[in-house]
Amino acid sequence: MSEAFLSIENVAMYFGGLHALDDVSFEVERGSVLGLIGPNGSGKTTLMNVVSGVYKPTYGNVRFNGKRIADVPTYAVCRLGIARTFQVVKPFANLTVLENVAVGAMYGRNGNRRGARASFERARELLEIVGLARVAKRNASDLTIPDRKRLEVAKALALDPEVLLLDEVMAGLNATEVEEALDLLRTVNSRGVTLIVVEHLMKAIVSISTTIVVLAEGKKIAEGAPAEVLASPRVIEAYLGTRYAERQRAQREAQA
Amino acid sequence: MATAPPNRGLGGITGNANALGVTVAALVLMAFVPQLHSGYYENLGRGVLMFATLSLGWNIIGGYTGYASFGNVVFFGLGSYTAAVLWQHWHQQSIALAVVCAMAVGVAFALVLGIPILRLRGHYFGIATLGIALATQEIVSNIDWLGAGSGFTVRPLDAYSNYYYAMWIVCAASMLATYLIARSKLGYAFVAIRENEEAAAVLGVDPTRYKVTAWAISAAMAAAAGAVFAGANGFIDPPTAFALDNNIFPIVMVILGGAGTVAGPLVGALILTAINETLWSHFPQIHTLFFGAVIVVVVVFLPRGILWLFNTRGGWKGIAGSLGAYRV
Repeated sequence: MSEAFLSIENVAMYFGGLHALDDVSFEVERGSVLGLIGPNGSGKTTLMNVVSGVYKPTYGNVRFNGKRIADVPTYAVCRLGIARTFQVVKPFANLTVLENVAVGAMYGRNGNRRGARASFERARELLEIVGLARVAKRNASDLTIPDRKRLEVAKALALDPEVLLLDEVMAGLNATEVEEALDLLRTVNSRGVTLIVVEHLMKAIVSISTTIVVLAEGKKIAEGAPAEVLASPRVIEAYLGTRYAERQRAQREAQA
Repeated sequence: MATAPPNRGLGGITGNANALGVTVAALVLMAFVPQLHSGYYENLGRGVLMFATLSLGWNIIGGYTGYASFGNVVFFGLGSYTAAVLWQHWHQQSIALAVVCAMAVGVAFALVLGIPILRLRGHYFGIATLGIALATQEIVSNIDWLGAGSGFTVRPLDAYSNYYYAMWIVCAASMLATYLIARSKLGYAFVAIRENEEAAAVLGVDPTRYKVTAWAISAAMAAAAGAVFAGANGFIDPPTAFALDNNIFPIVMVILGGAGTVAGPLVGALILTAINETLWSHFPQIHTLFFGAVIVVVVVFLPRGILWLFNTRGGWKGIAGSLGAYRV
C-alpha cells in the first residue's frame, strides 16, 4: 500500500482525568467508507472533533495527504479538504437554506476561486443533489429534522471535500428516510468522496461501510470488514452486551 | 446576551428592498436640508446623519457579526481628536483630509485592540469594549498634546454648511459600503459568525480574521463621523468626544431600525431623533424618562426592529405574538 490517505496515529484526547480517546490508530483509504461505531461515550464524536480540528489532541497526530493536521485550526482543516457534519445540527437559522450552503461554497476548499454568484450557483446544484431544492428560499430554522440533516450534508459538500465526516446524520430518521440518506451517501461516495460515518444504526452502517472501526471507552477494540468485525466476540460483548451475544448465538444454532 | 436580534424575515441579508428604497429616498432628500433651513433643521439633520453613521458602524460589528460593542465611541472620539490635532498642531483645514486620517487612526486602533479582545465572546466582549471606552477617555484627558482635560478649539475656515454635506457624504458612503458588503462574500462571513461561530469555522470561515475585519470597518465609519463632528462642533474635549450618548444611542437606533439590515440604522436614527426632539421640546424636565420608556417598549414588542413590519411573513403578527407573550 502506498502512503496512507488519512491516518489517525496514536491519538489520545484527555479532558482532565477523563480519557475520551486513548492511543487510537487506524488508516482510511481514499474512496472508502469507514464506519465508526461504539457504545455511547466511547469517543466517536471526540475523534470527529480531533480530525476536523475542533479539538487539538493531547497526544498523537492526524496525517492527511502526508500533512500533519493535528495543530491546524478548524477553518484551515476544512480548506485542506476535510468537511464534517454535526450530530447536533448547526444551521445558520436566520439565513435561507440556499445561503447556508452558499457560505460553504464561498469559504471551502475552492472558495478562493469562487465569487458570491458562483457560490450560489454551486449551492443550487448541491440542493438538487440532496433533495432540498424545493425549500431553497426557506429559512433554515423552518426545516424538518430530516431536512436539517440533508442541509448539514449539503453544507459539508459545498466545501468540495475529499473526506466527509458524518456524525449521526441518520439518527432520528424513519426507515424510508434512512434508505434515502444511504442512497445520498452512496452517490456522494461514488463521486470520489471518502466517508467516515458515525452511526448507531447497525443495519445502515453495515450496508454502506467498506471497513468498520469499533471504539469502546476511548480505545479501538476492532477493525476490519463489517461482517468480520460484528462477529468478533469482543465487539459483541463491548458494544451490544453479553446477553445480546448469547441470544444471537442461540438464534444461529436454531437456524442451523 | 446583548447580541443583536436576528434578521429573520427581514428579506435577506440586505433587508427588505422596498424599505431600503424608501430609506435611500429619505437620505437623498436630506441632502437638501441646508438650502431649505440653515439653522435648527440643519443642525438637527447633521445630528441625524452623524448618529446614522455611528449606527451603520455599530451595525457591522453588532448587527451583522453579532458582537455587541459598547465601545464604538472610542473610534468616534479618536476621529474627532484626529481632526482637532490636524487643525491645532498642523493647521490643516481640509475636511476630506481629516476624514481620511481619522479613518486610518480608527482602523489602526481597531486592529490593535481587536486581535486580543475579539477572542472574547458574548458578555465578555461587551465588557471589554466598555472598559476600553472609559480607559481611552481617561488617557486622552491626561495628554497635554491632546489638550488634556480642557480640550481644543477646532474651527477650520470652511463654510459651516460644508460640514453638513461632509456628514451626508460620510453617511451615504457608509450605507453604500454596508449594502455592498452585505451582498458580498465578506457579508456572509460576518453573518455566519453571528449565527454560529463554530459552524462558521467548520465551513472555512476564519472567525478571528473576519471579526477583526468587521470591527475595523465599524471603526472607520465611526471615526469618519467623529472627524466631521469635530469641525462642525468647533470644540472638542474628552466628555464631548467620548460622550455616553454617542455610545448608547447608536445601539438603540440599530435595534429600533433593524439590526443586520442596510436601511435599519438610518431608519432608527431618524425615528429616535424625532422622538427625542419632540419629547425634549414638550417635556424638558422629564424627557429622558419618556425616552427610556420608548426604548423599553421597542425592545419588548419589536425586538427585531421596525423594518420587521415590512416583512410579508407576519411582521404585525409578530407584534401580536409579543403582546400575547407579555399578556397585554
